[in-house]
Amino acid sequence: MSRRLLQLVTMVLAAVLLAAACSSTPPAQQGGEGGTLRLAYLADMAQADPDVFYDIEGNTVILSVYEGLLKYKPDSTEFAPSLAESWEVSPDGLTYTFKLRSGVKFQDGTPFDAQAVKTSFQRRLDVGAAPAYMLEPVASMQTPDASTFVIRLKHPVAPFLHYMASSWGPKVISPKALADHAGKDHAQTWLNEHAVGTGPFQLTAFERGQRYELTKFADYWGQKAHLDKVEIRIIPDIGTQRLQLQSGDLDAILHSFPQAELEAAKGNPDLQVLDFSSFLNNILYLNTNKKPLSDPALRKTLASAINRDTLVTEVYGTYAKPSSSTYPSGLLDPTLAPVSYPPSETTAPANTGKLTFAYTADDSGVHRRIAELIQQRLDAAGFSVAINEVQLPQVFEYVNDLQAAPDLVMQTNTPDGAHPDMWARIEWYSTGGLNYLGYKNPQADKALDQALETTDKATADRLYGEAGKILAQDTAIIFIADPRDVMVLRKNLTGIQHVPNYPWALNLAALQKG
Amino acid sequence: MARFTLIRLASLVGILLGLSVVVFLLQAVVPADPVRAMVGASARPEIVEAKRHELGLDRPLPVQYVQFLSRAVRGDLQMSLHTRRPVRTDIAAFLPATVELAATALAMAVVLGGALGLVTARGGGASLRVTLVASASVPAFLLALLLLIVFYARLRWFPGSGRISPELGAPTGPTGLLTVDGLLAGRLDVVRDALAHLALPALCLALGPAVAVGRTLRSSLQTVLGSDHIRTARAKGLTERGVLLRHGVRPALNAPLTMTGLQVGMLLAGVVVIESIFAWPGLGLYTARAITTVDFPAIVGVTLVMGAAYVIINALVDLAQVAADPRLRAG
Repeated sequence: MSRRLLQLVTMVLAAVLLAAACSSTPPAQQGGEGGTLRLAYLADMAQADPDVFYDIEGNTVILSVYEGLLKYKPDSTEFAPSLAESWEVSPDGLTYTFKLRSGVKFQDGTPFDAQAVKTSFQRRLDVGAAPAYMLEPVASMQTPDASTFVIRLKHPVAPFLHYMASSWGPKVISPKALADHAGKDHAQTWLNEHAVGTGPFQLTAFERGQRYELTKFADYWGQKAHLDKVEIRIIPDIGTQRLQLQSGDLDAILHSFPQAELEAAKGNPDLQVLDFSSFLNNILYLNTNKKPLSDPALRKTLASAINRDTLVTEVYGTYAKPSSSTYPSGLLDPTLAPVSYPPSETTAPANTGKLTFAYTADDSGVHRRIAELIQQRLDAAGFSVAINEVQLPQVFEYVNDLQAAPDLVMQTNTPDGAHPDMWARIEWYSTGGLNYLGYKNPQADKALDQALETTDKATADRLYGEAGKILAQDTAIIFIADPRDVMVLRKNLTGIQHVPNYPWALNLAALQKG
Repeated sequence: MARFTLIRLASLVGILLGLSVVVFLLQAVVPADPVRAMVGASARPEIVEAKRHELGLDRPLPVQYVQFLSRAVRGDLQMSLHTRRPVRTDIAAFLPATVELAATALAMAVVLGGALGLVTARGGGASLRVTLVASASVPAFLLALLLLIVFYARLRWFPGSGRISPELGAPTGPTGLLTVDGLLAGRLDVVRDALAHLALPALCLALGPAVAVGRTLRSSLQTVLGSDHIRTARAKGLTERGVLLRHGVRPALNAPLTMTGLQVGMLLAGVVVIESIFAWPGLGLYTARAITTVDFPAIVGVTLVMGAAYVIINALVDLAQVAADPRLRAG
């Protein structure tokens, strides 16, 4: 009897498996000659509205569908024309005149002109989400003719052109789409999951939690995309992504590939491991507002005890360098605000007490590894450290109660644009959004405020350097590493273009699939 | 029956209230600022505060709870902080995938568990027992990876992630269950593809409950097989198979049915991990994201739905027990 039953169960299972297996042949390549590129996101991008979107995962969609006035050249911090063909800045740094490109159409067929730019910029201010800060210094916007757009600022803003080129900078949305779907929220509900820009790809599917689909925009004004489609699936597990890349069901993993697996990926003849310069910066915040790290001497002892340079090599191998400045490499001459943490034999006093160390989770395993190594090294130097993995919303809470906040917080951050102000102002300005542990130094704030309104670049850079030096002297943040932006791609992908300030993203329009 | 339904409904309301209180208390004790994370690092403090006010998160927790309750009874579960959509809309979008996965897993668990119990009750089925117990004792995430490596990456029998191949253009309604919608639309290709996507995640979820159900059935059957009516059945000259299936199984179903109901809880807990590994766009994946973004409205919504599902399934199990064992009707 039991054998028969076993046979029956085996048959049922086999039938289900067989029925299923029959349909599991890999999907045929879709589209025309350009083919379909298959990418994956670890998390849903939450929204596709460029005036609300303020994340890194999702950059590829925003940058492919929408365009701003400027962009960055590949591998560079220099500007390249985008919707503006040329631009001029008045000597007082207050008036910006953009000459706009002609013959541009939105993906819904609406012609692009200066009024469309003004409508979109005004909408960003009206929506008033985080990226609106880039337009808050604007006093007025004028459109003297269809191809000229003039912005007048309330005060000089040194990084203003970088705001225009930032991946989170103001993008131009079809005024027709904005009017048609305005609702009561400036079309936010609609633009949450739809997009109408001027970019080389159209967003043709936004299935929350599942996939996004980009389709080549045939009427794009510039060099048209080689690919016909880009399929982006939400695959929250990096291990699953890796299996799919190796099996040929994904064409690239654009970030968070496990650091420990990179060597194996390099040895795979079907894959290419590429690393690009970036402004990503791994940093360790110190809580200067509570004991024991309110003592500057102890902070210096701690910085030396980490033995940072060997730590960076041990964790990242060749995929990062120890930070040489308080600014990510490439933002500012590193000699203007240098940092170094030479190892020393000094140990922590016996009564130091236990330090709490929080780090945010990352899928590549790098943060955990750094945290564990720092814990080991500090323990060896007489400190006692308890490490704890936390989520970003928890980190944002620390500043509300600095006495209850951890003594150490580690994260990898990146500035919105390739300008020193866009780094220093969020990291260590007293009200900076990423100043998690509430560091305050009025002198540093003053230098940053002066630099912001200085039109002479050399003077401004000197002031940014000064602000960085003050921070370095205070040892309120230990700058650990400048990591590379590491991507693993199938070998048959060519036409790879990367911009240091657009992390985790490639120029999809330039990519070709062989 | 009416009394049974009323009692169950009352307990459902009580449990949901209890769950919502627990999640709200959690919100009070977990130090996090989801609004700051939601609007972004460069948002001015006024923007953050305006958003906090708009979402009602600047009010005392008891006030928030009362507001939540008054809206929840009208079916309004607030806005998700992460997706910026009503939680109700999100749940409606993600729930069918989880229902399809959990139902398939439950069916697999019952079939496998039933087979295990029946085969092993008479001392046989060693290989089936060893295979199932060994598989169920591997942690779910590891089993999921092993299945993916073997059946997806090596053998290419099954797809590696998602619910359906996007190029199929699967029907989008009316039930949201792709196998059912595929059948209704006469799209056998969709049904086959959906089954292929279901096989591995459902198997991962099913193995633990299958072993639990199987072992309970086995021990229950062994007790029943020693009872007087079985001896009488044997004395009538019935074959061992006839004795087991006709007279043994039904009285032995009570305990395994209870176990099945309890295992549904395990199964629902397992979907968070399994859906993440298999990129299954269901409530588990939605929950995982809600937890990392400390999206409390979403967490509350999912908790209530999962809690309700658990209570309802256990009520159905009670009904099944009554159907299987007439002695329970008297009580």
